[in-house]
Amino acid sequence: MKSNTDKKTLARLQSKEAVLLFIFIGVFVLMSVLSPTTFLTWRNLQSMAFQLPELGIFAIAMMVVIVSGGMNLSITYTAALSSIIGGLVLSKMTAAGIGPGPTILAGIATFFVVGLACGALNGVIVADIGIAPMLATLGTSTLFEGICLNITKGGAISGFPDAFLWFGNATILGVPFPMIVFVVVVAAAYFLMERSPFGFKIYMIGCNPTVTSYSGVNVKKNLHRVYLFSALLCAIAGILMSSRYNSAKESYGSSYMMQSISAAVLGGTDISGGYGRIFGTVLAVMIIQVISSGLNILGVNRFIINVIMGGILILVLTINFISSGRKANAK
Amino acid sequence: MKVAQRLKQSRELGILLILVVVSIVITLVAPAFFSIENLFDILKSNVVLAIMAIGMLPVILTGGIDVSVSSMVAAVTIIVGKFLMNVSGNIFLAFLVGCLSGTIMGLINGLLVAKLKIPPIVATLGTMSIILGVSLYYTNGNWITGLPKNFIDFGRITIGSFYRQGEEMIGFPIQLLFLILVAVLTWFILRHTLVGRGIYAVGGNRVSAERVGYNVDRITIFLYAYEGFIVGLAGVVHTSIMRQVDPNAFNGFEMQVISAVVLGGASSLGGYGSVSGTLVGVALFSVINNGLILMHIPTFWQKIVVGIVLIASIGFDVTQKRYRESHNTKVDIEEA
Amino acid sequence: MQFCHAVFLAHFVYLNVLLCAFTVPENRVTLPLQIKNLIIDTQERTPMNPNAFLQISHVSKTFPGVKALQDISLEINRGEIHALIGENGAGKSTLIKILSGVYQPDPGAEISIDGKRCSQITPLLALKKGIVVIYQDFSLFPNESVAENIAITTDIEKGTKFLSWKKIRSTAKAALDRLGVELDLDAPLGTLSVAKQQLVAIARALTFDAKLLIMDEPTSALSKSEVELLFRIMRTLRESGISILFISHKLDEVMAISDRFSILRDGKYLGTFGGDELDNDILISLMVGRKIEYTIYQKHNRANAGKVLELKDFNKAGNFKNISFHLNKGEILGITGLVGAGRTEILKAIYGINHQDTGQLFLDGRKITITSAEDAVRHGIAYMPENRLSEGLVLRKTMADNITVTVVDRLKTKSKLIDRTKQKELVDKWIHELNIKPPYPDMSASKLSGGNQQRVVLAKWLAVNPKVLLVDEPTNGIDIGAKAEIHKLLRDLAESGISIILVSSELSEILAIADRILVMRRGKIAGEFDGATATQEEIMNKAILGVKQPVTA
Repeated sequence: MKSNTDKKTLARLQSKEAVLLFIFIGVFVLMSVLSPTTFLTWRNLQSMAFQLPELGIFAIAMMVVIVSGGMNLSITYTAALSSIIGGLVLSKMTAAGIGPGPTILAGIATFFVVGLACGALNGVIVADIGIAPMLATLGTSTLFEGICLNITKGGAISGFPDAFLWFGNATILGVPFPMIVFVVVVAAAYFLMERSPFGFKIYMIGCNPTVTSYSGVNVKKNLHRVYLFSALLCAIAGILMSSRYNSAKESYGSSYMMQSISAAVLGGTDISGGYGRIFGTVLAVMIIQVISSGLNILGVNRFIINVIMGGILILVLTINFISSGRKANAK
Repeated sequence: MKVAQRLKQSRELGILLILVVVSIVITLVAPAFFSIENLFDILKSNVVLAIMAIGMLPVILTGGIDVSVSSMVAAVTIIVGKFLMNVSGNIFLAFLVGCLSGTIMGLINGLLVAKLKIPPIVATLGTMSIILGVSLYYTNGNWITGLPKNFIDFGRITIGSFYRQGEEMIGFPIQLLFLILVAVLTWFILRHTLVGRGIYAVGGNRVSAERVGYNVDRITIFLYAYEGFIVGLAGVVHTSIMRQVDPNAFNGFEMQVISAVVLGGASSLGGYGSVSGTLVGVALFSVINNGLILMHIPTFWQKIVVGIVLIASIGFDVTQKRYRESHNTKVDIEEA
Repeated sequence: MQFCHAVFLAHFVYLNVLLCAFTVPENRVTLPLQIKNLIIDTQERTPMNPNAFLQISHVSKTFPGVKALQDISLEINRGEIHALIGENGAGKSTLIKILSGVYQPDPGAEISIDGKRCSQITPLLALKKGIVVIYQDFSLFPNESVAENIAITTDIEKGTKFLSWKKIRSTAKAALDRLGVELDLDAPLGTLSVAKQQLVAIARALTFDAKLLIMDEPTSALSKSEVELLFRIMRTLRESGISILFISHKLDEVMAISDRFSILRDGKYLGTFGGDELDNDILISLMVGRKIEYTIYQKHNRANAGKVLELKDFNKAGNFKNISFHLNKGEILGITGLVGAGRTEILKAIYGINHQDTGQLFLDGRKITITSAEDAVRHGIAYMPENRLSEGLVLRKTMADNITVTVVDRLKTKSKLIDRTKQKELVDKWIHELNIKPPYPDMSASKLSGGNQQRVVLAKWLAVNPKVLLVDEPTNGIDIGAKAEIHKLLRDLAESGISIILVSSELSEILAIADRILVMRRGKIAGEFDGATATQEEIMNKAILGVKQPVTA
């Protein structure tokens, strides 16, 4: 019995999340040692805590879809479209002299409605029509971008009520509000994906949709839901972004698309579906954030930081490949 | 009879038909569309897209994808720009350097996909991030201007100037030659070499391809390297058109390239597609873009149209395939 | 043409000599234990039958837990059509895989090709010796032309860098000419019917200089006229000296075309017979006439228990026709028939994943409509698919996950999350109840043995507490001991009130546990038998012979 427990502990230590946790601690300590006066300050920690939630939420939006055996290349444009239409409501209502209370309420509702509509469209195309998710969402991302541009004519939507800026910029007891949102999102995603029947089905679908469907699970319905959930997260990220920028534009956050795939994969999500843990993705986002902030503080060129991010992605996959090959050989 | 049947099944012809219809509609609304100036303008502004789409075609044929093309072509323009400024103004050497650097980058993609079994989209995302980072670091995002005069003159060469527009003679831009070269070369490889047939075979059925003896890894490496080579060429051609280098000129360009190839009928399921189809796809893409401008419809509509056409064309394919599969005869029913 | 042929043959002989020269020393190096055998054999190499192209003896194959083949001996003559027959699981496909080099036989096997001993066959060697297998999926490329599909392999073999389409077309044309068929060389393969695609696969085999063509169920997807065309071509090939070994379930066709038959039963060789030596009756009794090794369970007439499920006039084009039957409460209804008779299709139709064109379904006397697996499960109908590896289990997931998947919605806590305690209890209960070994819920399903995998599939369905259990070939590919245990499980379930439809091609299995038996033939119900009194011979007769209107009980 005792040896069994030991084995379990050992297995836990060797799990991908444990490795990621050690990497995170290592990177964090390294940055703190290299730059104790700047990195390890309240100010820097707070600034990281403002930046991290957007990537973090996008990464989870990407990860849940990848787990279902899909891919969502439209996350940033889903966020942009909901920001732009939501922003339009905010600015028009403000201009019409309606008070901030109803304006923000209506605005935020619009964010969610538009986001969910985008997700519904993705779900229909992937689940009902049956187009490969990568191409389907490539198509919808182009579509969403086009609609964004059509509304903004290439410009930005601004003129939000001041109170709206609170979402992206406020702190509560020194903790940035976006961070609080992120923690809630992580908790919700964890319970939904790893503890609820819905999440269980999504993991099974990601592994083998045929068997799961033959087991009486409505695969289409659950795929619809996962794309809706992903889109909902995008809308939340959109709210934080447009509040932080005090405007909405189609190009905001477009660099998050690639980074969120990196974060998901780095966090141990199997790109072909079926595996991946929320905690792993969160750790990967934290690692990415610490590395990029830390290198930034150290005066490393921001472009070189991109290079390092790409290098990490390929390195992780190479290590995965080599270790899986070794396991196969050991058999 | 057989020919007619074959044509009816040809996707290329279908897309060509759409192209013709779209062109007629645009011409009716905006007669300026069907002028030689405008057509040449479309040609020159889309020749790089066309070259790169042809490079992407073999990748899509095998069911792969390459999102690093935009960063690769940007890197090539920078390398070639710096080479022309600092090393030699020799045009031939510039092409050599461009194609070589493109091939090396493509080779790396190929090795990552074939040897390390990294899914194409992830592998090329990684290389994209690296290449883009290095390029921007090296140039700091600054433009390279003041390229040697002989290179600029080279880019202005036109062939067969036959049409007078005010003071200027209009002819085929020299860049068109490279497009023709790439199209013919790719067509030849795909049609007349074993590796080309292997590309179709891998896309059609990877397991069968292995069973009949194709070396799938080698084919994969080849096609990514070849794509890199073409992207290298496209980089030099682009530089010769723009006469300067903007490291950010290609942001988001990979989506256009992929869309054009898929619009051109290359199957997302792999194993179907042709150079001619891709060219028609690029033409459709460019004509829609140009027509929207001429019809005074905001260009932003272009993305909406492309997105819808993309989804509709793939959706049609997929639905048809599923219909056929569900209506297969499984049992030979005895008729009593 | 004739000349060309001669050159082909001369070339081939040369190649063979060369190859044997290469293979012998190689064997010496890699398999020192067999040297002795080899030398003895070379000394007394005179083949017993000079006309034999392929001779095998003492071929056995053991998989963990299963003896797939035991001491098989077989001769295939030059230019003969040789049928290999036997029930599912008799070892036919294992034998094919040994002949084509995919599997290696157990030590002690003797195989000679063209009179020469080959102590080891690799896929490459088999191909170079002219043994070509046409698998059921053909391994062709649907988007490419007929010509390319036929001829490209010669270029791959030679490593030609630049192709000549003229040559490809002429090679393809020559191969098709040898078959005596005409196909549009430029048509994309995918536009051809299955029968024509098969001709393309055969033509491709000819470009390999095939001496022995092995065909796995070549007629399974063909119509009657297409079968006749295929037979004509098989005879043409025979005339040109090519041997054909083919597997079939359709005994009437086997008798129509083959020169000789060999019969396998339970991995054992029963003998080879001349085409005119056998008639249906003898063949059937040979194939099925084994001592049934399964426990025969007590059968019940459940007609009074009431109908649980009833199908009225189910039709689906290309699947089944005029299907009406009912299932009584607590009974095991066996459905048997040859492969391709439409048994699986009808099961899938009931389960909602192969929806019928017309037909009504009644559950407990109420008319219901099922258009998806979800509907079926909601109505208490469960389905154990034939292919547990691709349809029954998520192999990469754990045993616990696989058992949970059907009932996860019933394991919710108040907060709508999965109740892990309940889940653990459920999984432990079924592992214990079905005696799944090893009893580790966290073990990946891929690591279990076939019998235990099947128990996991059963567990996930029993967990939903179904009214009706549809079971498709539940003991396919699992060893005898495990089969008997599955039989007992199914029988116990029926006793506990679950109604079961069991599809199986193994007659002894049906006879061991089914209360009532339906026989299907070519998409229709051919007969009904009482499980207590039916015999293998009469069932087999129905499966092969006449189609009558279903007996209404």
